[in-house]
Amino acid sequence: MPEAESRLRPDASGVGLETDGVKFVLAGYDESAVEQALLLRQAVPGSKVGVVALGPPSRTDELLRAALALGCDSASAVEAGVPPLADPIAVALALAEGIRARGSTDLLLFGKQAGDDEEGLVGPAVAAALGIPFVGYVVDLRFDASTGRFAFRRSSERGEERWEAPRPLAVGLQQAWNDPRTATLPAILRSRKAPIARLAAAPAPAGRPASVASAFALPPPRQGAKMIEYDAPSQAAEKLVKVLREEAKVFP
Amino acid sequence: MSDAVLVVGEVEDDRLAPATLEAVGVARQLAGAGGTVVGFLAGSHARRLAEEFARLGVGRVRVAADPRFDPAPPASLAPAVAAAAAGVGAATILLAGTTFGRELTGALAVAFRATAANGVTEVERVSGGWRVTRPIFGGRANERRSLEGERAVVSLRPHAFPPAEGVAVPAQIEPVGAVEIPAALFGPTRTAPAVASGSSGPSLADASVVVAGGRGLRSADDFHLVEELASALGGAVGASRAVTDAGWRPQTLQVGQTGKAVSPQLYIAVGISGAIQHLVGMSSSRVIVAINSDPSAPIFRVADYGIVGDLFAIVPALTAEVRRVRGA
Repeated sequence: MPEAESRLRPDASGVGLETDGVKFVLAGYDESAVEQALLLRQAVPGSKVGVVALGPPSRTDELLRAALALGCDSASAVEAGVPPLADPIAVALALAEGIRARGSTDLLLFGKQAGDDEEGLVGPAVAAALGIPFVGYVVDLRFDASTGRFAFRRSSERGEERWEAPRPLAVGLQQAWNDPRTATLPAILRSRKAPIARLAAAPAPAGRPASVASAFALPPPRQGAKMIEYDAPSQAAEKLVKVLREEAKVFP
Repeated sequence: MSDAVLVVGEVEDDRLAPATLEAVGVARQLAGAGGTVVGFLAGSHARRLAEEFARLGVGRVRVAADPRFDPAPPASLAPAVAAAAAGVGAATILLAGTTFGRELTGALAVAFRATAANGVTEVERVSGGWRVTRPIFGGRANERRSLEGERAVVSLRPHAFPPAEGVAVPAQIEPVGAVEIPAALFGPTRTAPAVASGSSGPSLADASVVVAGGRGLRSADDFHLVEELASALGGAVGASRAVTDAGWRPQTLQVGQTGKAVSPQLYIAVGISGAIQHLVGMSSSRVIVAINSDPSAPIFRVADYGIVGDLFAIVPALTAEVRRVRGA
């Protein structure tokens, strides 16, 4: 995803994001997923962490190497010719094919939402394509070796629920409950030479339902705040309530 | 164009969730004059809750009364919903874009062999498919998408559409019928229901009013000023990262890139300077009010109304004024 501080603008076609001068980084949500995987590996002896990304090498390799530098055991890139800001379901079906080709997996971890499109469609769709149950908005994921089950909390609009699940399981993580580690310089140098497995996915069949980006627009800029002038705090409060009621029409 | 549209009912506190009512309104528009809107409900209470659809004028409700849905992970409902949609000949499935709906949408796209979009603020039927608009990058931009094909699954951003009103009709409950659901999808089990974290009142993601506090509050003890204003407005409490990092309030209240993204009708930022980290989580709110002692704080650039001053004097005065006009 683009760095939070980058200035966003539409590209010349008006459909996509102008990527010139925008730095792409490992999405925060994905960073948190890598951290969670590494913590589970520490807790479950013999387990391994693999990282998978979809896209052309020019877009995936830097991110995959960043994950390897953080300590992932292996990295795979699925090359399916799906462009950026592409159809999330096509992305999911291609990823599922690549994940199936890697062999069986006990746990699939996804960042909460792909940081660049916020759709949150990819994780549940990959799991559905693989026939694995999916639970999203998960915090505090643990594995109990004595029962062989995962235990976690799910954060919903109504608060936090507790869940348990056997393997295999697909999980969409809620970010920000952990502090992702940072890579050491020797690990970064090693990751530059680490192999990346290339998995090919069949192109989506013609006529498959598709989601196609057709325009990208910035919301109309806000005019800047209308400042409330006042002599006493009570007057500021009265004036604000009045404009919220009569002008903005939001007062509940 | 007329169509059959299936609306997936979400249950909250043993009732249809408010966001489902918004989906019913949109479904009517999409279905068109000659089209039909059909409800869907899962779980052992589904038959009783079908009456709530009927009260909105949606009489036909497909029901998957399997107690294994009490509750199942949202995504595990996908095979039953897809079967219901196919059974009524629906081309469009609509859901509320809550955590429930957003998780289900992706799985449903695969089960229903459909295209999908999550969290849209506009949706219309066009020749050859649908056209949707959705905020992206935390509301910093809008994206238009064409959903091409015969079938689409769309979840709607909460609060983006008015709730449906309708004339009650008799409920006509139809079982979904035999659906083969892989046993693995019922593997995850909920061992404890939701426990509200943080404050009372509406939840942060659902609330139409959010009052959020920042570093300007100076201490955990003074955060109650924010909570009292939220309570007077019937809104939810939010916090900036500075507040949750300092441990004044739990992380679940954090609004921003590393916390929750909210888009209420009214967002009041109290003592929040407006770091980009925070702005991406709230800048798509309809009306933003900023109260801050620093006139050059970046929050005033995204706010609609601003008050420069001492929040320790302004906020209690505002709470009192709100209580007065609301007659409380």
